[in-house]
Amino acid sequence: MSANFLDQEFPDEEDEDDFNPQPEVGSDDEADAKPNVEADDDEDEPSSERPRARSAPKDEDDLKEEDGDGVNAADGEDEGEADGEEDPQGGDEEEDEEEDEDEEDEDEEQPSRKRRKRRRNQFIDVEAEVDEDDEEEPEEEDDMPGEEMHPDDLQELPPGADRDDRMHRELDRQRERQEAMDVEETAARLKERYGRQARAGGAGSAIVPQKLLMPGVNDPRIWRLKCRPGKEREIIFAIQHRIVERSKSREPVQIFSALERSGPMGGSIYVEAARQDDIMPALEGITHIFFGTKPQLIPVEEMPDLLRTRKTKQLEAGMYVRYKRGLYAGDLAQIEDIEPNGTEVELKVVPRLDYGLNEDANAPIVEQDGQGGGKRKRVQKPFSARPAARLFSENEAKKRHSKYLQSQGGLSRNAWTYQGKDYRDGFLLERVKISALQTENVNPTLEEVTRFAAGAEDGTENLDLAALAATLKTSAGADYLPGDKVEIFRGEQNGLIGRATEVYGEVVRIRVEDGPLRGQTVEAPKRDLRKLFKEGDHVKVIGGSKYQDEVGMVVKTKDNRVTILTDSTQTEISVFSKDLREATDSGGVVGASKYDLFDLVQLDASTVGCVIKVDRESLRVIDQLSNIKTLLPSNISNKIERRRDGGSAADRLGQEVKVGDAVKEYGGEGKSGPVLHIHRNFIFAQSRESRENAGVWVARCNNVEISAAKGGRVGTDLTKMNTALRGPNGGAPAPMPPPQQKGRDRLIGRTVRIRMGPQKGMIGIVKDATDDSATIELHAKNKKLPIRKDKLAVIDPTSGNVIAPDASMFGSGRPSGPPGRGGPMGGQTPGRGFGGPPPGAGGRTPAYLGGGGGGIGGRTPTWKQDSGARTPAYGGATSYGGGQTAYGGGQTAYGGGATSYGGGSVWGGGGGGGGMSTWNPNAGGGRTPAYLGGGSKTPAYTGMDAAPTPGFQDSAPTPGGNFDQPTPGAWKPGQYQTPAAYNTPGGFPETPGPYSAETPAAHDDGPRYD
Amino acid sequence: MFFIAHRERELTMHPSFFDSAATEKIKDQLHTDLEGTIEGTLMIIQIIEIDEISEPMLVPGTGMAKYNVSYRALVWRPFRGEVVDGMVSNVVGNGFFVDVGGMDVFVSKAMIPNQLKYTVEGSTPSFTDNSEQHIEKGTQVRLRIKGIRGEIGAMFAIGSIREDYLGPLDV
Repeated sequence: MSANFLDQEFPDEEDEDDFNPQPEVGSDDEADAKPNVEADDDEDEPSSERPRARSAPKDEDDLKEEDGDGVNAADGEDEGEADGEEDPQGGDEEEDEEEDEDEEDEDEEQPSRKRRKRRRNQFIDVEAEVDEDDEEEPEEEDDMPGEEMHPDDLQELPPGADRDDRMHRELDRQRERQEAMDVEETAARLKERYGRQARAGGAGSAIVPQKLLMPGVNDPRIWRLKCRPGKEREIIFAIQHRIVERSKSREPVQIFSALERSGPMGGSIYVEAARQDDIMPALEGITHIFFGTKPQLIPVEEMPDLLRTRKTKQLEAGMYVRYKRGLYAGDLAQIEDIEPNGTEVELKVVPRLDYGLNEDANAPIVEQDGQGGGKRKRVQKPFSARPAARLFSENEAKKRHSKYLQSQGGLSRNAWTYQGKDYRDGFLLERVKISALQTENVNPTLEEVTRFAAGAEDGTENLDLAALAATLKTSAGADYLPGDKVEIFRGEQNGLIGRATEVYGEVVRIRVEDGPLRGQTVEAPKRDLRKLFKEGDHVKVIGGSKYQDEVGMVVKTKDNRVTILTDSTQTEISVFSKDLREATDSGGVVGASKYDLFDLVQLDASTVGCVIKVDRESLRVIDQLSNIKTLLPSNISNKIERRRDGGSAADRLGQEVKVGDAVKEYGGEGKSGPVLHIHRNFIFAQSRESRENAGVWVARCNNVEISAAKGGRVGTDLTKMNTALRGPNGGAPAPMPPPQQKGRDRLIGRTVRIRMGPQKGMIGIVKDATDDSATIELHAKNKKLPIRKDKLAVIDPTSGNVIAPDASMFGSGRPSGPPGRGGPMGGQTPGRGFGGPPPGAGGRTPAYLGGGGGGIGGRTPTWKQDSGARTPAYGGATSYGGGQTAYGGGQTAYGGGATSYGGGSVWGGGGGGGGMSTWNPNAGGGRTPAYLGGGSKTPAYTGMDAAPTPGFQDSAPTPGGNFDQPTPGAWKPGQYQTPAAYNTPGGFPETPGPYSAETPAAHDDGPRYD
Repeated sequence: MFFIAHRERELTMHPSFFDSAATEKIKDQLHTDLEGTIEGTLMIIQIIEIDEISEPMLVPGTGMAKYNVSYRALVWRPFRGEVVDGMVSNVVGNGFFVDVGGMDVFVSKAMIPNQLKYTVEGSTPSFTDNSEQHIEKGTQVRLRIKGIRGEIGAMFAIGSIREDYLGPLDV
């Protein structure tokens, strides 16, 4: 019967999941009283269980009286019966569900008793009316003698008239209430009586307000005892065992329940008993309890708190958790399986293994499995950094630990056992206590999660969105706001569509927009709702997925999966409808990323890229070689700010290309679009036709053609300013000064003569030079002196011919005219082919070289002549052939600038191709002191100076040889082909770029180059 | 759909243009400023008439003159549900893009009849049912607008051809 009562209560507890009762007010009187009156007749025992139900203070007197009666009443049968029938099974089943996770079987018996007692108390309240009660109570009171008052005490109470009155009134009231609730009550009673049978079928439905179950001062107390931490559960089981064991004995255990709360309250157990004295006998002999400290009484008001349970997050397979401690502390793990007992889970985690690499080879071998026998010493592992998390590799493991490695399963499965742990598909599978895991606020990052993403066959990642959503769940699932369009997708109102008008708690009130209920307002629980979106709706992802903040238009809806086309990248993504909300704002991903779409970023020292997609946690970047990379923002070293002038480059025709200009790829796919960035000689442009990579494509700048320059390249906005009113030179930038000579001054190493001043006529070698002055080491005396360049004339060290009358102009790249006509060269005209090299120092520019094959063909022999002339045996036409090819080699070398003269040797060598063998010996023979002297000059020049030198010398005897060979015809093209290059200062720089300067257009723009 | 809209606009003029041609200049400016621009989901196609040009007023502090111009313009405003014609500008795996005037319309695979399959022949991707319907770059299609989004200077929409009489046109 007491069981009946249980039946009645438990459903209630189930309903309100958490057992967090509020202290009752005064209502128990009513509820409690009623049953008693009626119940008495039929069921004495149940009613008599109530004696300890808390009663309002005012009732206390009564209580005492009645209790008195009951004190000695031992409830032999009742107890026995109760224990016998409830505890082992019935109690188990029913209560397990309701009671909190922790305390299990032990409690069962107790609560029932408690309730029984309450009942009895109740009953006693109304004792005045019903005589029979008295008779029965005595039997039952026995349990808790401590609590009841001694009869004597009760007698001492002054029997006041008002008290009688009160009792009567009480009775009246009770009857009233009883009538009012008669039907319900009857039903409840029936339920109570027969509930047991019914219950087999499912949850009962009788409702007892939870607050009625709050403990009061008359209920058994709870004491706390210290115990060995970690052994709580063991103790509880021991107690339970003991209770069962002794229940039939002569001295049953007198405690009602024992429980433990693991977690922060570990190290203690709680015992519910009527008296403290009951505890000791009950627990005596149970190990791990510390009896040294006295049991500590838990205050009544704290008792509910002790049993308060927090709803724990339901773990599901596939969810992500983190380790709290150990080797994997902080690591993300995925739940593979949950043990039925709910305390352990099987986890999948990326293992951290060192495969024995850090093992001390000399250390004594320790049996891994502990079977080694003998004393096992705990080997103190030297502290070392924990191995990096990497997927298990059987190859690594085989290297050193093949004996610990066993294959598992068939060939198809990549499953291994290594050192007693299971690895599957590279992941470690491990069974872990839930308490060792962090299940809340896991917040896995995309990077971590992708490790678990089961790679599909085709290499695509297969992220389990559902599992991720379960982990990332933020504010309790869907978040509805008034105005959201929703659909009821299950329940009887399935299919109803409407707009949320009000949201409170878990309920949403919906104004129906369609169907027969149109215009009405219905309420539905959140869990039966989902948000509804139509195709074409503009929505924003509000959370729960990695696409957070993405905005797009709905393309497709299926159940609760919505496919949207993002605004930012015009790609389709699938998200849950609960994570969407209608958006009015446009704009792509905002996110917290430092990098925006189309930013130019530095990936490493030699790689730059343009951002083509910004995700919440990752970026997609196309680098300069058109590789697509997905990166974390942390992988990017920095953003490359656009240069103030935007930078510019020359297209394949030498036209200037700036950011914003429309360019077209030359060849290839012929992509086009405006330039986003120019970096070095790569151009990032965006095609409007292509969606691939957000339309961004990369090309070398000499592989594009400009199709439309932006804004006509004028500094000022013509629409703002009347061009007619501009001055003759208005707005146009001042003509650019001649470009500064960069790099090594060409004058250095040259032989010069001082033209004026006290040292006039002295000859020396330039050791150092600045813009306008040079340091000269005089031939005559060992002295270096600085002197202004314009006082110097460059001369040929051997012949003494003046090469440049004004050293300040020398090598400035601005010869006064075409070299053919040039003053200084003029004198050398016959030697032109040969005098070429000196101006070449400045004037042998790319243009010169670029003069084209014709010129070179003609010149080559000449050049060759430098060396060839030295050798009388060398004059052959064959050498020209060799020289020509050699020149090809030399050409590139010349492009390089000063060092290119070093290329002279290359060139010589190349020229030697066929003629070398003849050349060298002859050259050796022909080498003159002068040549050697030339050789003493800086190496870069050696080739250069040395070459002419012997040339000159040798050429003196055979001038014809020298000068004839370059046929004038051959020469001309060389010279005249590139007058522009000569005229433009731009032609001179040593960089390959100037080649392009040959075109007249570039020439106009010449000043821009520097 | 096309409309004629009466609108007003404020224009400023640099003092250097203050002469007898100022009015012409303002008209020019209005045309160049507005024609072909998109505001929200509305595109100004042409200014058909300038109704009135106010007396210029100098804007204090700048020297610029301010004109209020009221004009009538032919505007195009696409609506959700409207059926429009356009030319396919790009075909990708999950749909294709159509240029409808100044608007970029995406027709998703979900809104393409099932019999039209994505295929890549040679280098031209297309949606085709291997008989009469064939959509590739340059094809004229008729589609129904499902949703429109206006951005500064651009309009985007998604469209559907999953309906009778929609799809590629025989031209």
